[in-house]
Formats: sequence, structure tokens, C-alpha cells
Amino acid sequence: MSLEIVVMVKQVPDSQEVVIDPVTMNLNRSLTRNVTNRADENALEAALQLRDKVGGRVTIVSMGPPQTESTMIECMARGADRAILVSDRFFGGADTYPTGLTVASAISKLEKFDVIFAGEESSDSSTGHVGPGVAEFLGIEQATYVSKVDYEDGLIIAERELEDGTEVVKVPTPVLITVLLNANIPRRQTLRRKIDAIRRGIEVWNLEKLGMPPEWVGVRGSPTIVRKMRSIKEKERAAKKIELDQIPELVKELYEKGILKLEESQ
Amino acid sequence: MQVEEKLALLNYKTDPAYAHITIDESICETCPDHFCTFGCPAKCYTIIDGRINFKYEDCVECGTCVIACAHGSVKWTNPKGGQGIKYKFG
Amino acid sequence: MSGGMSDFDVIVVGAGPAGSSAAIKLASSGSNVLLVERADPPGSKAVSGGILWGKELEKVVPDWEKVTPLERFIEYKSTAFLTEESKVSVDFRTKKFEKSKTGYSVLRAKLDQFLAQKAKAAGATLVTGITVDSLSMKDGIVNGVVQDGETVTANTVILAEGTNPRVAIEAGLRKPLSDLDSAIGIKEVVKLSENTINERFNLKGNAGYAGEFVLGFLEGGVRAGGFMYTNKDSLSVGVVISLPHLRENGKTYAYDIMEKFMQHPYVSPLVEGGQVQEYSAHLVSEGGVNSMPDLYGDGYMIAGDSAGFTFSNGMVIQGMNYAIASGVLAAETAIEAIKKKEFTRGALSSYQSKLERSQVLMDLRKFRGIDRLVWSRLVHETAPEMLENILFGIFYEDGSPKKHLANTILQGISGSNMKKSELIMETYRMLRRM
Repeated sequence: MSLEIVVMVKQVPDSQEVVIDPVTMNLNRSLTRNVTNRADENALEAALQLRDKVGGRVTIVSMGPPQTESTMIECMARGADRAILVSDRFFGGADTYPTGLTVASAISKLEKFDVIFAGEESSDSSTGHVGPGVAEFLGIEQATYVSKVDYEDGLIIAERELEDGTEVVKVPTPVLITVLLNANIPRRQTLRRKIDAIRRGIEVWNLEKLGMPPEWVGVRGSPTIVRKMRSIKEKERAAKKIELDQIPELVKELYEKGILKLEESQ
Repeated sequence: MQVEEKLALLNYKTDPAYAHITIDESICETCPDHFCTFGCPAKCYTIIDGRINFKYEDCVECGTCVIACAHGSVKWTNPKGGQGIKYKFG
Repeated sequence: MSGGMSDFDVIVVGAGPAGSSAAIKLASSGSNVLLVERADPPGSKAVSGGILWGKELEKVVPDWEKVTPLERFIEYKSTAFLTEESKVSVDFRTKKFEKSKTGYSVLRAKLDQFLAQKAKAAGATLVTGITVDSLSMKDGIVNGVVQDGETVTANTVILAEGTNPRVAIEAGLRKPLSDLDSAIGIKEVVKLSENTINERFNLKGNAGYAGEFVLGFLEGGVRAGGFMYTNKDSLSVGVVISLPHLRENGKTYAYDIMEKFMQHPYVSPLVEGGQVQEYSAHLVSEGGVNSMPDLYGDGYMIAGDSAGFTFSNGMVIQGMNYAIASGVLAAETAIEAIKKKEFTRGALSSYQSKLERSQVLMDLRKFRGIDRLVWSRLVHETAPEMLENILFGIFYEDGSPKKHLANTILQGISGSNMKKSELIMETYRMLRRM
């Protein structure tokens, strides 16, 4: 058995370095360096584990400016086999809709794809749209917020972490899976693989290669219009230190203020 | 400004799977000076209830502790690739 | 591949000023070179004061003054003694430094990234974010590096790991670090506007200030120096603390010394209103030639801070210029070795002779033992107090009849904590060393 596995990755500003300018409300990126979106590292690790178990090949697909190359090389240094960067000035300013469409279009150009992995969301926009969007555009199954993946008898078995528990789903391929942040511990890059990756280089696909109309991509293909941005002033929280034996009074107070409610048990 | 506030300004890529510095607690137990607590600029070594408490997560990788400890307790290695402290200015 | 059976002609471990300079030189000469750096991006684990003295960079980046990320050129140099309540300083500023630059303030995260990218552009294979675990040896000859159990081979390895060279130490090529060859450096980068800096330090345009301080106010025998350098729109402020004295004291926290320096009555007004952007720490090589390892051997050379190439006489601290110079010389030696196809200890021995003929080892040998003076009681306890006493005696006007100047000076000396005979001997020794 051999699986063709795709991992969608994104290069993002290092969230620990992002500063919002208090006057303009814009992100001050002058001191911010780019890194690989962390959940995507978990997606890559899930993909590599699946490949190592079942056999096959892992291809990285990313849409972004040319400097995304460093992220692609990093992914190959962790063990990915091939890297395709979808990059063209036409793709600039895309919101999640044309991004999903563009990435789906790139993936559909691959000879074959069985499992597509993506991080649950990116740390810079946190929409979680693009992964599921790609599945929709490709018309394939999807399993989101997955912590564990296995493969048996031609079916992907995915454990989904939901608010009220864990759901195990069995889905046929092709399927798209979004992987939770910290679902696993990503393996390290190795020197040997990184040298090989630099020598092999990455493939860059432009708009022409994808054969998409320019009005479908980038800022022109984006339905989102940002009218206004504002930063949120955090409300001062009422804090109160109490002794253990005052808990009954606290509960009473919270009940009276309507913060705690009594629910009839069935 | 407290050193804790200064450390809070820093960007770390902490490696959950590898502690690049380890200490031998049996040596620390009998240590007469605990000079590591005075030397370490990142306050990674503190004494809690008479015992050395060490956390590698705040380490800025200067290497002071491996010299400071004259009793052979500290084992110092580089963090694995790219992880650990990430200075913006340096 | 020119390296025959090896993956590379040369592997350079560490992309700081020494390693990247070596890699630029090697790659420009057509050698197949791997530059491997554990930080990602390069410079994100580096700390230096940092003034880049001299013009060494010209050797690898001909138009360096135009293209390198430099902060300000040093026009205003100051050396000061601080006591609890006083500051005695010698200031030197000259327009001559504007025409002929002697040094620039730099920030390493920018500088190192720039140099590493230069090496990549010259044709080096730049690998970042990878930590070399150890050296690979065959029949006692270094023939590559090991990472995650895999060996990448080369005919020569240049170790430029910086001041805490784990690979060299692990391989037994350098003794473990000790109190005598390292001091603790702690630094803060304080954000201030360009205008504020120019006003506070009386600077114009791109001119900069570099101040060194003796922290004569520390108690209990603790000895430390301080520094303050102007960047474009920030200050680099820090301390260098002597380990043996801190150890002997046994109750002072290194990080408290940094804060005490920042709060000194003649330091705090200079940083006031500034926002601390970064706190950092790094060892400072101190040993000079006394703790220098073998600089070369079968299949390897050691450059920069890893070799202990740092110089400090209390008035300047230099390291990056020696790092660049030694990196270039190691590269030149490797280029000769590649031509001769010989990489033994004998073939690489010209690295040492090149260094001996260069500023690097000449400076270090000439000022051998100066660290003992820099950390002496004379400098850290006697001089600050004595100078304060003398100058206070001269300038304090209380209405009583003036004493003869010589008496004021003698009184200042006798009021100090050192005997006159001792003082004369110490001063004599100091002058001889300098």
C-alpha cells in the first residue's frame, strides 16, 4: 500500500513577536520574523507518521510569497519528500476563500492525492477556513480538529476532539484532515535532510501553471471587506480573595447576582 | 524592574521534548554554596524549601551555570536545532 | 564535487562574525562550504555589547560601510569610574572619527543574519536551525560533523561556535570553561527615540557614544564593569561581572548587579523613559592567550570567541574584529590546504603563523595578563574612591582657607583603602602592562 499524502502549510509572523501599533491599530511587523505555523508542524508530523506506517510520499503545498521557501525547506528537513510553493503576485491579498480555491486547484493538479493534512488554523488569522474550504472545493470528505490518525483496510480512522468528548470517525480516501495544535511532538529537522532539501530545492507554481482566471484569485477573488479594526480593551475583572469557609456565601452571592443558575436535574 | 519582568519580554521556542541542561539533584542536596542561584542571569536556579529548583525553559543559553557549579552537577548541552532563546536584537 | 570523497571541502560550525566571514571567503574562492548554525535565523542566539571595532569586515564585504546593518559610528568615547554618589570620567571625542571611522555600534540579530546571507549569496550552503552534536573523527583526524547520528563529511572543519563552544569542548579540543577564562555579560536594549539619544548624549546625525564604566560602588568585593552604547534608536546597556569575585562574595545575584547599574544616579537619567525591549546574557571570553586552546589540529581549526580571541583593557572590549580576522585567516589556510589536498595538522599550521603575524595574536600577547589588572582591587576599589576624594577636595568650597593642591591629592590618597607603597607598586605594574 502506498499513500499520496499532502500537507498544507503556511508561513506566519511569529506570534510572540507581533506588536500592534497603539496608534494605527496595524500589526507592526518590522520586528516580526516569519515562522512555520505551529499547528502545521503538527499536521506534518501526523502525515509523516502515517507515511512511515503505511508507506507513500508526503508533498508540502503552500501558498505565499517567495520567502515561504524557508518553511518548505524546513518541512523537507523534517522528512517531507516534495515541496510545491504556489506563488504569484496575483495571489497577494487573498482572504480565505480564494486561498482555499487556489490551494485546492494546486492539489488537484497532482497526479493523485489520498490524504490531505492541514493545521486546525493559522496563528495569524485563526479562521480555520482554508482546510475545510479545500475539502469542499475538491469535493472530498473531511475530518476536522483531529488529534490522532490511523489507517486500516483502506479507511482513515481519525479521532476528533470535540467540546463534549472524542469522536472517532472512519472515512474513505481521499480525505482532508485538520490536525490540532500540539496533537503530537513534531520530529526535528536533520542536517543531512536539510542539505538535501536545499540542493533539491522546491517547485514554484504560478497562476499560469494553475490555469486559473486572475479574477478568481488574490484580492480580486476575495469577498471579505475589512471596514474597521479596533483593539479590544480588556475589562477589569472583579477579583476577590476569600477563605475556604466563605464558599457558601460566595455561591449565594453569585446566585443572587444571576451569575450562577440552578438547573433542574432530569 | 524585576528580572522576571525582563525575562517575560523574551521570545522562547521551548522544546518540550528535550531539556538541554540537566542537574544531578543528589549533588545539589549536599551543595554548600548554591552559587548557580547567584550566577544565573535568568533566575533558572532557585531554592524552594531548601532544595534546588531548576527550570530550563527560561534559560538564555549563556553557559554561566556550567562554570558556576564547581561540584559537577550541571550538564550543559546546546538546545536542539532552532529551539530555545530567540533574540530580536542580540 | 571538489571535495573528493567528502560531502564538503569545509564545514564551518557557527554563523557568527567568525564563521560567516570564513564561509564568505571560502565560498568566494570557489570552495564547497557548509555553514551550519543552530539559531534560526542566524544571530537570534547571539549577544555582544556591541561595538564592531576596526575595518576587518572590509576583507569579506568590500563595501561593508554602505551595506552592513550598522547602528552609529563611534565619535564619543568615555571611560568612567562610578562610586555610590559620584562619577569620574575621561571623555574623548573627535571629529577625526567622523572622517576615519574607528568603530560602529551593532545589534547582532541584524548583523549575523546579514553576514550569513552574504555567505549564502557567495555560494555557501547555509543551514540554520540545526545543532551539530559532535565532531566526526577517523583515525584521530576530524573529518566532519555528526548530527542526529548522521555524519556529514568535510576535509576541514572550522569551529566558530562562540564563547561557549560545546562541540570543541565535547571533542576535547578545548578545556571546559572556568572562572578564569569567562565573565558573565548581561545586557538590556532600551528603546529611546533617535532625537532623545542625540540630545542626551550631545550627538548629531549618525554619531554615537560608547561608554565603559568601572562599577566602584559594588559591595562585598564584587567586581563588575559596565557599558553603554548608542544604537540608532536604542541603547545597549550592560554589565560584565567577574566570576571569581562573585563566587567569593557568595551572596550577590548577577541580575541584581545589572539593575543596580541601571539605577545608578548617573546612569538612570540616560535611560529614563526608555522601554526595555530585550534582556540578554552571554559569557565573555576573558582568558586571552593564557587559556587559548590549540588553534588547529588534524582536520580542524578554531576561530573567534571559541579560541578566546577577546580583548579588554577596561577602556574597550573587542571581540568581533578578532573573530572576523581569525575567520578570514582560517579560510585562507583552508584554501591553501584544498590546493595542496592536504589537511593534516602540519598543513593547517600556517593558521597559527598567520594569526601570530596579525593583530589578533599580537594584541593578545602584548596585553597578556591584562585581565588581572582589569579586575584588580586598584581599578575597582582604590581608584574610584581615591579619585572621588581628590576631586571632591579640589572642587568643594566650604569657606575655609584653601589647601595646597598637593595636600588635597595626598589626603585623597591616604583616605583610600590601599597603602601608599602598595598603590605605587600597583600603579607601576599597571603602567607596565599597558
